[in-house]
Amino acid sequence: MTLMDVLDKNLIKIPLAGETKSEIIEELVDVLVSHRAQLNREEILSAVLAREALGSTGLSDGVAIPHAKTTAISSVSLVIGIAGKPVDFDAQDGKGSQFFFLVVAPENEASAHIEVLASIARATSSAPFRRLLSAARTTEEVMELFID
Amino acid sequence: MSDAFKNLLVYLDGSEESVTAAMAAIVLAKQLDATVTAMYVVNTRALQDLVKARIFLDIEEQEYRRDIEGDAQRYLNHVQRLGEQKAVPVIPVKASGTVHTEVRSYVQKNHVDILVLGGISEIHSRRDELLSETDRMMRTASCPVLVVRDSDSVWDMFEAVPDAM
Repeated sequence: MTLMDVLDKNLIKIPLAGETKSEIIEELVDVLVSHRAQLNREEILSAVLAREALGSTGLSDGVAIPHAKTTAISSVSLVIGIAGKPVDFDAQDGKGSQFFFLVVAPENEASAHIEVLASIARATSSAPFRRLLSAARTTEEVMELFID
Repeated sequence: MSDAFKNLLVYLDGSEESVTAAMAAIVLAKQLDATVTAMYVVNTRALQDLVKARIFLDIEEQEYRRDIEGDAQRYLNHVQRLGEQKAVPVIPVKASGTVHTEVRSYVQKNHVDILVLGGISEIHSRRDELLSETDRMMRTASCPVLVVRDSDSVWDMFEAVPDAM
């Protein structure tokens, strides 16, 4: 499984409105639950925040991959959000984060979960790709960057 | 010709599609009087990449590794039981490393005749780094590859095979 298998146009938000780490995480979770009515917002948010409390998922080069496994979801899900300007996410390089990939997975799909995370890490390691992502203004443009 | 396609390998990754592929392999093995090997590869390469990229903490890496080891055993046991149900012995193989490399190597070393896969990605990207492990296996295997797609018909075929006495 890769991020292509879980990429969903309805689960992309651009631009994100949040200006703090907690606002961004809540906004990403809200995108997910607004399109999957059966999901429990608080359980998912709690799982993501619990993981974040162990150490920031803000990486370098503006990329953050908040993630969690929880019984509150039945399949690996991905929400992509792009902030209009960098947000302090306690990133490894001390810089602001702009590209957010929220991955929430059920507890019994560990293999699929790590493959999606690794796929995101590989895709976003390319500087030209991040520049294109930064220039995207619509969900369609983000989708196009991943597909063909 | 009578010795053709006697050694089938099905790759399991915990997905429903891979279990369906295993059922198809069992049906095929029954008809061809072939043997089925079910292989699960613990993707330690992806785990290491995630730790290196600092997406995973050490404690997460250990926890996920345990989870995946457990998944591997559970799915291998499940497919073995499916085989027993149809009197088709299934040999379980658990490996670890880079998934498509381990599978490719097993195919070559064990003279596998057909690699049976499920769950090829429906969306194709030009970006090679987005290729899934199953896509890579399909592209790099040195033997014929059977991609199983229609799960309903596979279920019907599986059910049509008489159960073991």
